[in-house]
Amino acid sequence: MKAKNRGKLGIHVGIIIWLIISLAPLLIVFSTSFRTVSNATSPIQIFNEFSLESYKLAFGRMNFTESFFNSLITTGISVAVVVVLASMAAYPIGRMKTKGSKFLHILFISGLVIPAQMVVITVVQTISGLGIPNTRFTPMIMFITCSLPFSVFLYSGFIKSVPFEVEESAYLDGAGIGKRFFQIVFPLLAPATVSVIITQGIWIWNDFFFPLIFVSRRAHHPLPLAMLGFMGDSQNPTQWSVLFAACVLCAIPLVAAFALMQKKFVEGVAAGSVKG
Amino acid sequence: MKNKSLVLSSRMYLFAIPALIIYLTFWIYPTIRLFYYSLTDFNGLSPNYQFVGLDNFRQVTTSPMLTDAIGNTLIFTVLLVIFGNFIGLALALGLNAKIKGMGFYRSAAYLPTLFSAIVIGFMWTYVYMPDRGLIASLMHLVGLDGSNFNILGQSSTALHGLIIVAIWRSIGTTTIIFLAGLQTIDHSLIEAGEIDGCSQWNLIRRIKIPLLRSAITINIILGVIAGLSTFDLPFIMTSGGPGTATHTLMFAIYRLAFNEQRFSLAAAFSVVSFAIIIVITGILVLYMNKREVEM
Repeated sequence: MKAKNRGKLGIHVGIIIWLIISLAPLLIVFSTSFRTVSNATSPIQIFNEFSLESYKLAFGRMNFTESFFNSLITTGISVAVVVVLASMAAYPIGRMKTKGSKFLHILFISGLVIPAQMVVITVVQTISGLGIPNTRFTPMIMFITCSLPFSVFLYSGFIKSVPFEVEESAYLDGAGIGKRFFQIVFPLLAPATVSVIITQGIWIWNDFFFPLIFVSRRAHHPLPLAMLGFMGDSQNPTQWSVLFAACVLCAIPLVAAFALMQKKFVEGVAAGSVKG
Repeated sequence: MKNKSLVLSSRMYLFAIPALIIYLTFWIYPTIRLFYYSLTDFNGLSPNYQFVGLDNFRQVTTSPMLTDAIGNTLIFTVLLVIFGNFIGLALALGLNAKIKGMGFYRSAAYLPTLFSAIVIGFMWTYVYMPDRGLIASLMHLVGLDGSNFNILGQSSTALHGLIIVAIWRSIGTTTIIFLAGLQTIDHSLIEAGEIDGCSQWNLIRRIKIPLLRSAITINIILGVIAGLSTFDLPFIMTSGGPGTATHTLMFAIYRLAFNEQRFSLAAAFSVVSFAIIIVITGILVLYMNKREVEM
């Protein structure tokens, strides 16, 4: 028993050391964000001042309210569309055992290995060729497209585990194919839906690449793009308090969502791996 | 089961059409166009362009930027996968022990994965900053001379500096996937091992790790995909520099296309990257699948 306790102590110590090393930057950023701009002491003297001055400045400079809503709208709509389209596309892939469904499967998962940055040059052309203007909504096209491979892959794995009999009995009750999918199969895919919402929601919310390419007007910037305005400041110690306040503001919506739904986040990230 | 073909009518394929249209228009079609432009001298704007055959590829293969970018990307991927998996596995084994505060530790370990690359880039630029950054300040504090300390400013260390950030960011996800794998392990197997007098190390090596095979496969594949498509950290933290020290494949493509307006050269670069990525992930997936079946 003694050895076991010592082992547990060792685990605690190991994990705490790792956490201190890995969370130290977060702590410093957090503490520095509460300083006034004139505070020139080194940031490692943590929490030596408490003021919201830097937050006020950062809030205005990054146009927080507007950027936040741009992020919220584009992420929300993109994720909702992905859930509907990917689950539908996965239906024949998970259910049919034909050459056609196998081809669809390979077609979609091949997208997993193509990085978005690689095709972006021709994507820009395609989108402007279709006459789509650059607005806050344009990146959504690529958010949805890039989320499809993983989401279709995940959903088709889950659909395979939905017993065929439930559909058969619905069929005998006279349910059409649409009704069967949306009222019987789709609700049974809830764990996959949680996983898609969490994993795709996080990357879409945090992505700055597609907004960087497709959003030109300042008022249309989502949060990560609003942060680009601080680019030079990370080299300039006198700007750190405002820069770090902006970092905290940018991160807080997702951290808050995580705090409220920790279990869902962990399940969502894990579900993708266990089924896949 | 005689109704199966009626229940599973081919009308089911209609469900795939909306996703298919989007996917083909904005993913497959642009990929094909990329191959086409790589054979032209298109500059991204002028509609008058000509076929130049393999000229772009000749330029690409003789440019030192390409060899640097390939080398950097491979180093980045290998180190990210190896260290990311080792640390993630160690952390997951620790967190899986039934200890107090496990939920708190797990949440704290997951925290870094929630931040945007921009925020992470700014944070770590401060951590690495010469003289006044976090590491330099700590060095001063313990009496070391931190004045020569400049990870991102030196070609020899800049890439490793970015790799550390990439590992730091990915550990949370890696750990959660390992933890989920550990929790599916049948407890009676562990108990049987304990009764047979297995040491903790042997329990991990002979029972847990083999049973974690599929979690390991996924973490390696996720790491390889992330490593090969690295773009945001060099873009935000080093602008690919100093020189080409932190140019990755995707950074080089972006730079050629959007900063230097050499559209067709960027397309050729993309085609080369595409081939590299397909070959590496293809070999990996085949190898991993074979290993998994053998187990």
